[in-house]
Amino acid sequence: MARHRILIANRGEIAMRILRACEKLGHDFVCVYTRADQQSGHVRLALASGGPKSLYRVSSYQDPSEILAVADATQATAVHPGYGFFAEDYRFARRVVQRRRPLLFIGPSWPQVRDLGDKINTKRMARAHGVPTIPGSDRPIYDEMQALELAQTIFAFQEDQGIGEGCVLVKASAGGGGMGIEEVYDLDSFRSVYRRIRNYAKRNLSDEGVLIEQRIFDFNHLEVQVLAEGGGRSAIHLGTRNCSVQSLGRQKRIEVAPGFDPGSLPYAFDAAGVLAAITRHSVHMALQVGYDNVGTWEWIVTPRGEPFLMEVNTRIQVENGVSGVTSRIRGRADCAQGVDVIAEQIRLGLGEPLGYTQDDVYFSGVGIEYRILAEDPADRFTPCPGRIEAFGWRPEPWLQVFTQVPTLSRGEEPYEIPMDFDPNLALGIVWGQDLAQARERGVEFLRGLVLEGTDTRGEALRTNVPFLMNRTQTILHF
Amino acid sequence: MLNVKEMLEEINASPYEEIEIKTPHTGVVEFVGLGLGDRVTGPSGKWLERPGTLLAHLTREKNKKPICATQKGQVMDIRTELECTFVEAGERLLTIRHFLSREEVISRILKKALHLFVAPERAKYYFVPEIDAKIKASGEQSVKVREGLDMFIVSRMKRETPLSYSGPEGIIYAVYFQQGDNVDGGQPLIGVCPESQLSLIQDVVNRVQGEWEERD
Amino acid sequence: MDIDKRTRELAARLTYIRDIFGPRENASVAMLRIRLEEFLAQATSLGMRELSRQVGLLEELFALLEGKLENELTPMDRVRIVRHPQRFCLKDILENVYDNYTEIGGQDEWSIDPGMLIARATIARRMGKKTVHQSVMVVGQEKGHGQEYRNAGSIKPWGNANALYYMRVAETENIPIHSYVFTPGAFPVEDYPGAAQQIARNLYAMAGLTVPIVSVISEGGSGGAEAIALADRRLMLSHGYYSVISPEGAAAIEGGLKERASPELIAGCATRLRITARDNLELGFVDRIIQEPALGARPEHFDFFRQLRREVVRATDEVVHSVEGLGPLRGMAIRRQASTGDPHDIFVRWSLGQKARAKLVRMRFDKYRAMSRAACRDNRTLGARLYSGLEGLLWAAHSALRHDFLARHKRRLLGLLEALEAEVRALRQGVGGPIGRLLGIGAGQQRRMEVAPEALELLTNLSCAEDCPCRLEDTWVYVSPKSREDHVVTCPNAATHGCLDLWAPDLFGEFAGVCSHCGHHFPLEFQWYLYNVFGFGQAYEFNRELESGNPLHYEGFDLKLEEAKRRTGLGSSCITFETHIEGVAIMMAVLVSPFRGGTVGAAEGEKIIRAAERARLKRTPFILYSHGTAGIRIQEGTCGGIQMPRVTMAVRRYIEAGGLYLVLYDTNSYAGPVASFLGCSPYQFAVRSSNIGFAGPGVIRETTGTDVPPKYHRAFSALSRGHIQGIWDRRDIRKNLHQALLTMGGRNLYYR
Repeated sequence: MARHRILIANRGEIAMRILRACEKLGHDFVCVYTRADQQSGHVRLALASGGPKSLYRVSSYQDPSEILAVADATQATAVHPGYGFFAEDYRFARRVVQRRRPLLFIGPSWPQVRDLGDKINTKRMARAHGVPTIPGSDRPIYDEMQALELAQTIFAFQEDQGIGEGCVLVKASAGGGGMGIEEVYDLDSFRSVYRRIRNYAKRNLSDEGVLIEQRIFDFNHLEVQVLAEGGGRSAIHLGTRNCSVQSLGRQKRIEVAPGFDPGSLPYAFDAAGVLAAITRHSVHMALQVGYDNVGTWEWIVTPRGEPFLMEVNTRIQVENGVSGVTSRIRGRADCAQGVDVIAEQIRLGLGEPLGYTQDDVYFSGVGIEYRILAEDPADRFTPCPGRIEAFGWRPEPWLQVFTQVPTLSRGEEPYEIPMDFDPNLALGIVWGQDLAQARERGVEFLRGLVLEGTDTRGEALRTNVPFLMNRTQTILHF
Repeated sequence: MLNVKEMLEEINASPYEEIEIKTPHTGVVEFVGLGLGDRVTGPSGKWLERPGTLLAHLTREKNKKPICATQKGQVMDIRTELECTFVEAGERLLTIRHFLSREEVISRILKKALHLFVAPERAKYYFVPEIDAKIKASGEQSVKVREGLDMFIVSRMKRETPLSYSGPEGIIYAVYFQQGDNVDGGQPLIGVCPESQLSLIQDVVNRVQGEWEERD
Repeated sequence: MDIDKRTRELAARLTYIRDIFGPRENASVAMLRIRLEEFLAQATSLGMRELSRQVGLLEELFALLEGKLENELTPMDRVRIVRHPQRFCLKDILENVYDNYTEIGGQDEWSIDPGMLIARATIARRMGKKTVHQSVMVVGQEKGHGQEYRNAGSIKPWGNANALYYMRVAETENIPIHSYVFTPGAFPVEDYPGAAQQIARNLYAMAGLTVPIVSVISEGGSGGAEAIALADRRLMLSHGYYSVISPEGAAAIEGGLKERASPELIAGCATRLRITARDNLELGFVDRIIQEPALGARPEHFDFFRQLRREVVRATDEVVHSVEGLGPLRGMAIRRQASTGDPHDIFVRWSLGQKARAKLVRMRFDKYRAMSRAACRDNRTLGARLYSGLEGLLWAAHSALRHDFLARHKRRLLGLLEALEAEVRALRQGVGGPIGRLLGIGAGQQRRMEVAPEALELLTNLSCAEDCPCRLEDTWVYVSPKSREDHVVTCPNAATHGCLDLWAPDLFGEFAGVCSHCGHHFPLEFQWYLYNVFGFGQAYEFNRELESGNPLHYEGFDLKLEEAKRRTGLGSSCITFETHIEGVAIMMAVLVSPFRGGTVGAAEGEKIIRAAERARLKRTPFILYSHGTAGIRIQEGTCGGIQMPRVTMAVRRYIEAGGLYLVLYDTNSYAGPVASFLGCSPYQFAVRSSNIGFAGPGVIRETTGTDVPPKYHRAFSALSRGHIQGIWDRRDIRKNLHQALLTMGGRNLYYR
């Protein structure tokens, strides 16, 4: 296979993981960083393993021109977007491959990024291929009569399902970020809410289209990790993940693979059947739409055990590692202890075939990923900026830690948490033969973790470690 | 008590400010033939609509952008070795030695004379909308502050909290930060002048106006 | 001392002559100078009688040589004559032409605009033994013999507004208006409501004033003149000039605006623009020339004022006569005295009856409609012309039948049906009770929740299988060629708004030239609008054969015109076509900037007028999109300038017929068109990041001596000062237009 030079258009731990994957696969790499981010681990790692020629300071991680200018100056041949930033920006993906000096984009082809990046479109495509989605409209509704009819049907449907208090979600179809979205509990108030949202959308988004959906409470959030080969020729999955432990702002904090554990826990529905259904649907849809890289099919599962496809993430995700540690591929020596999903993504992105089928994939044990952040779970998960003065953990064969923060002991130069990015500090992934062992090891890891510092007001740095420890006991319960 | 004379002498001993011109982003640098000691001017015109002297061009993704002088002064130390090379963002291209103007001298002295309200932590700072509107409409010196007045919005990590003023009552005489830029903890945000000292401050201004001679 | 006074007068005459002829060497001038100097040198040694004789000789010599010099006057000399402080002013006219007057537009410097003089004046006429005082409203620019505060007759927007106000008063009082044009051009400030906007309002209002208007042009420079010069009779002074632009302005444009134009270039422009009274008479833009004494009239030329009085009275009589049937004898007499007698002999009442007022406006329109018709090239075959004439007739008949006759009946029928339906509904709801139950209506009204299986289907299955996925971007039919270059572009607001550089294929393709961060609109080709907004692919273009010409045979312009036609593939800067927006048929006129900067000449004016007429016939809305216009095409001189009142009148006719006339500005729209037919629309909108104004920043600096702020002409400034009614995003134009069609416009739109 040709040797590539891959520009890593990201920062922090994901840049480090991509960098290591590049080295493992025998490719060169180029990293970028910003002035505010000079202390980040990816800067140190790039300098240590690639020298000063593999590291460039840019004005912003979010300016595509900066990334591509560095790519040209360093004769890079491919770009890896990581997650966040350009990962789901189809315009960036399009520009990378359509410019005069094209590069390979390590991710799905841009029309995939575009079509699956849009929730309404995803819903339509899913329905077209017989994949279940949340009951409701799959296109913007412009007509009041139609909206009313739809809401009425959803209420009736929920009643049918035995859901005590039905609820309908009304949202501006062009909106996002929690604006222009309201819950309605009965048909009488629906009309006024509908009109309010429509007027809001008309004024602020200049498109009065409104979406009407069933609101689902107490659901579990499951994901299917999909790997697909260029041109949509073949697709496999690496199992499911359960991402139901979240902060108040719906940010994931603990991810567990597999998604349910019917072997050791009781469920009110056929959990194994649900897992089988969502993996089947996900791979089927990936093949049908011609998906061509790694991606995540996100599902919500209701307390009654119905799965609905919520969205598709056309990128590598933070929690890819937890699927990696529980998956094995027959005939691949490097995948006997787990699959490096990022390395697989790079291989696929550079045009290599998958090389194995679903039958070659098998699963082993349970993985738990903890996201360790400087935040205050007691105070609505408010970020807690500051500096880290001591940071370390005891290495174990069943433990992987990904972090851009240097291991520190007290007295060394502290690490300033940069303010311009999310306050993610580290990811810890533990593996156990079964759920009980994994939980045990998780608690052991969190107990042994040293993480101390001072916040900007001079008080002790607050982290979410106690919260993570607390929630470990109930994971996969539903 | 403020010793204006001493301060002026102190500034007179080193009456220059060195302004580093850095690249705003990556790109290939081309200088325009300026040499050491050449004089440059900053933006001019009633609305500062005419840009300053062209110093260099920076080309990125086939887009050639001018880099212009931000202040009047003399060119020192051009990094000609960068000519036609690809440089990183924030790379220093040259330094301009800028002779302090009257306004700058006044503000330096005032920084010592005024009560400075400093940023408690590194964050982005904004004025609350009412004060912002007042400043925009009739200038910062129209705003009276007193203990406990809600003045700022502190924004960090996408969360916003209010910040109230503490210190002597008075009017805002100077604003030291750009709204929306990061301010380090301990950096002054505003300079407040108690009304009793207004005449003193005015005196400083008058003296500098009279005694400081601007040079190129 | 008499001799003293006479010599001083001679010296003043010499100074005047030298001022007029400027730096040019001239034998006659030199001779006058030498003779006068000789005389002055020996004057002290001469006796009284000899002195008197010599002065008399000198006076004769002056008169003789002035007559000779008169024939040597160049157009530029005439410009200097009308601007000379010794030239007579409007005040002199009020003193000498009218019998009594009161100033009502302020006094001297205590006036909203001291350059604009407004007065009520009377002219005494004999009727048998009685004397009748006939009132007129006099408006005009007052130069005040060089008084500084008069601003040389350069009028600010509020001055023109005041003139308009009193012209309306004249209309109320049913008295004629005499307007005297003494202006080098309007003062190009954009303060409320903007120079251009006010001139447009004046033109629009004057087009419909129902009293006779007579204008007399001494110095008629650019748009400033048009603000009061629209008239039923236009008289021009023999030494005046009337031009679309001052010679200096023309030279500045010719010379490229970089440095000051040379005097030779200015003089050349003055000649080429054909600005003299004789030129304008030949071209048909003025009705008569009033002869001035040699080298131009000055305040002491009382004979001239008497003549001027005769001429304005006669012109007013003629206007009245043309619309109000006079007695046969008087009519004949007026015709006869047209060449000879004094109009005071025959009395004509100047107030008009109702019918005559309407006829007056109609005749004024016809008068302007006929102007400059030959100034463009009509490449249609005879057959095509006949056909289009016939088509007009047919459409007129069709519209009358369909929209007036049938529609009225249809409306009545629909009204009946609606009433009936409402009755039935009332029966169902209100009556209810026993009758309702008896009839079996009203059952099943109770709201019940039940889910039909097909409704459930709707909740979980694809609603419309055929169109998946539904995407909104990439829907542009026409994509700018700029999107094919692989480079990035910096937004002009980057410094203030922090916009990132934009990749050209994204920016000019998917983003439609709009900065995705701050919303700045980069200019796009007119084709983008034609195809993406106005559906030009399905449109029917008409009058394509009407092409711009070179009516003044302006030197070197033929080549430039050919070049513009070749490069753009257009015959003029105006495209007119019929198209649809969301099913509503509309009439469009588009001014495109790549063709000579979108300037408007005779061809463009004619095309817009015909489009307005067509829209009136077909009862469609009429939308004018200015993709950019630099003003009136100066190389066509007054043939271009006259389009301002001409097109404004046509548009007014259309609006009054009950249509919707909407103007949309883009990129840069300046000068004449904005100050007339664009600015007169009650519905003016602008595309974001466009500039609208009267004169560009360079011209403002030149004329007013002050710098203007960088965003002076921005659409948002125009919106704040009340010129335009809204600002649209380029990508929403179609939607906004549709909204406008639904909510704006008069009674006569076919879809109403």
